[in-house]
Amino acid sequence: MKLKDKSPLSLLTVMVCGALLCCTAGQAVGEEYDEDIYGPEAPIIFVKPVKAVEFSHKVHTMEAGLDCDSCHDDLFEMEAGLAEQNDDFTMESLYAGQYCGACHDGDMAFASNKRCTACHIGVKGFERLHSDGGSTDSGH
Amino acid sequence: MKVKDLEKLENEGVENLPSEERRRFLQFGLSVTGVFLGGSVLSLTSARNARGALGGMSPATKFPYSPHYTMVMRQNHCIDCERCKEACKNTNHVPAYGYRTTILEQQRPTGPDSTERIFMPVLCNHCNRPPCVRVCPTTATFKDKVTGIVMMDYKRCIGCKTCMAACPYNARYFKEENRAVDKCNFCYDTKLKESGGKITACSEACPANVRVFGDLTDSNSAAYRLIHAPEKVVWVLRPETGALPNVFYMND
Repeated sequence: MKLKDKSPLSLLTVMVCGALLCCTAGQAVGEEYDEDIYGPEAPIIFVKPVKAVEFSHKVHTMEAGLDCDSCHDDLFEMEAGLAEQNDDFTMESLYAGQYCGACHDGDMAFASNKRCTACHIGVKGFERLHSDGGSTDSGH
Repeated sequence: MKVKDLEKLENEGVENLPSEERRRFLQFGLSVTGVFLGGSVLSLTSARNARGALGGMSPATKFPYSPHYTMVMRQNHCIDCERCKEACKNTNHVPAYGYRTTILEQQRPTGPDSTERIFMPVLCNHCNRPPCVRVCPTTATFKDKVTGIVMMDYKRCIGCKTCMAACPYNARYFKEENRAVDKCNFCYDTKLKESGGKITACSEACPANVRVFGDLTDSNSAAYRLIHAPEKVVWVLRPETGALPNVFYMND
């Protein structure tokens, strides 16, 4: 009787362990993201002048092969949140080759006036990030 | 195939029809009954006169209202900043639990492992054949005879919410403060008049010029030109309902 009761439990344990192993193995396969080389892993979220724009260091450094000094400190100050304090942090400036527009000119990278939603995540995206962040934090 | 050619064809019978076809035919029969019970007269006629049922409508030769208000959404420019929603709330006193306009979000696959984010602004489509108006038992919601705007007479609304169920665009909500259903009226009483019929609060607030408000009878208006640009694809939401909406979408 007892054995019978236990067997589904042990099966479950094996399955859970297996799933965990798979997860960790999956993570170890890819190159590890090193924040010292590639910049902060968490996305940079701009909320001015509109909510909201997502910038991923990973996409630009690790995947696209840019160096830190490709953007810092000429186009963007190293300190997060400084650029959006500027009055000229607008799409017009981007079209004129400032900020993201230095590369996103339609030549080096897709033009600033195309594919709006590649960077703009909107109020919905912003709120989702916040609610997701909240749930992960409470999970830890 | 042209209707004339269609008439010359031999009757193929129903023996070899796939069951899907049969089902569709049966559904059609049911929908005809439904329309009949609703009060419309519908006669089954020869193929020549039933052209509408065979596919599409005859092109409009004249817009039924003047000014015939419309909104053209340059959808791919929408970034969901929701300034339109804010402006609408402030201008039309929309409570937090409801909306007259909102933004929908979609992920469209663009390849095996890539998707594209799409934001879609929605509001009342001010249909030429508005299902909401048809079902209202008290004529509290009606089509303005001049502008074609679908309006609300709050005093007449009994709050049965049938219009909310009938609307294909989910563009109505029950406003507790009014004890009546509320909806977009292109800012008719709040912004449109004071601007001389030129603009709504949402289109004024849009930083990306996504919402182009205009008059379809004015061939110089931006909205008219966008819709009639020959190389552009323009679409409406849920065309299958036959409501003939006046909000158009395009990627510009």
